[in-house]
Amino acid sequence: MNLITESPEYDIRYSRAEDLPFLKKWVSHPDSVKWYPVSSEKDIDDMTKNWIGFSRFGASLTAEYQGKPVGIGTLFLMPYRKLIHHCLLYFVVDPDHRGQGIGTSIAKNTTHLGKTYFRFEKVHLETYEGCPALPILEKLGYKEIVRQDHFVKEEDGTYLARVIMEVQLSEVK
Amino acid sequence: MVKKPVVQIRDTTEDDLPSIQEWLLDKEVLKGFPMIDKREVEDSVRFWRQYIEGKMSITALYKKKRAGCANLYIQPIEKLKHQCLFVIIVGEEFRGQGIGTMLMKALEKRAKEQFGIELLHLEVYENNPAIGLYERLGFKRYGSHPKYLKEPDGTYYDKIMMQKFI
Repeated sequence: MNLITESPEYDIRYSRAEDLPFLKKWVSHPDSVKWYPVSSEKDIDDMTKNWIGFSRFGASLTAEYQGKPVGIGTLFLMPYRKLIHHCLLYFVVDPDHRGQGIGTSIAKNTTHLGKTYFRFEKVHLETYEGCPALPILEKLGYKEIVRQDHFVKEEDGTYLARVIMEVQLSEVK
Repeated sequence: MVKKPVVQIRDTTEDDLPSIQEWLLDKEVLKGFPMIDKREVEDSVRFWRQYIEGKMSITALYKKKRAGCANLYIQPIEKLKHQCLFVIIVGEEFRGQGIGTMLMKALEKRAKEQFGIELLHLEVYENNPAIGLYERLGFKRYGSHPKYLKEPDGTYYDKIMMQKFI
């Protein structure tokens, strides 16, 4: 299979505030929304505005295919000095372009940005059990460090665990 | 005549914020929090306002003096609002008098009865003496985030995560 990420028409650039509508659309998609800490339209608005805000610090990357955004990966920088040796990663891929290597590419490049530019010691990511991003992260060297059952309560009353994955950047090439 | 209890618990008000800030600025207390200086403490205390407005914060008075405070960080997100993190602070001069236990019990009651919280959880840094109090109150460790906090001298502390179904 030819991956989009191997195409000359695939590129990664720093994110810009104008990427917000794409981010919002992708996070809102029914296949995505379950894996983020959002329930309502307002939650999505608040979260994605905060998310794209990190582009001001050069902490966010946007993947483009044929000149159009197809994925965003962002390092959420910590607000306190005792915590600035690490950060939190979030990423999302355009639902129309999933399964084409973009998630791996954007997570890898964003993690690498954390290592080479921000000089973090480690990066962690928080999501919920069953999230399709988990195998991607494992492939990149992330390991599960915390699992908290009953963290999410879905509309039908079922619970999902919160999963925290982390990678030591000294182990990332 | 009915004697008034020595410790009273009431809703936190904006007037309590300077005391909270003062307790947090105690060097020993700050070791248990991610903030490092006055500016960072002021920033974090500013966030308390929304919890005060939402009646998610309580204050303990010992002989009418502010002695401690506890806060429920309930997220206004439908799928997450059955559980919440909390924080508790007791002023240095009021420790060892059961005020932390009283605050915890009152907070747990409020979480359950007023907000329908099912799962209460907390985060502390390793070696924090309050871990014993949480264990006595039925909190169990469910995980730890290694080397979460790094002091300016390079010492790392794991973040210990505990929870209790209420």
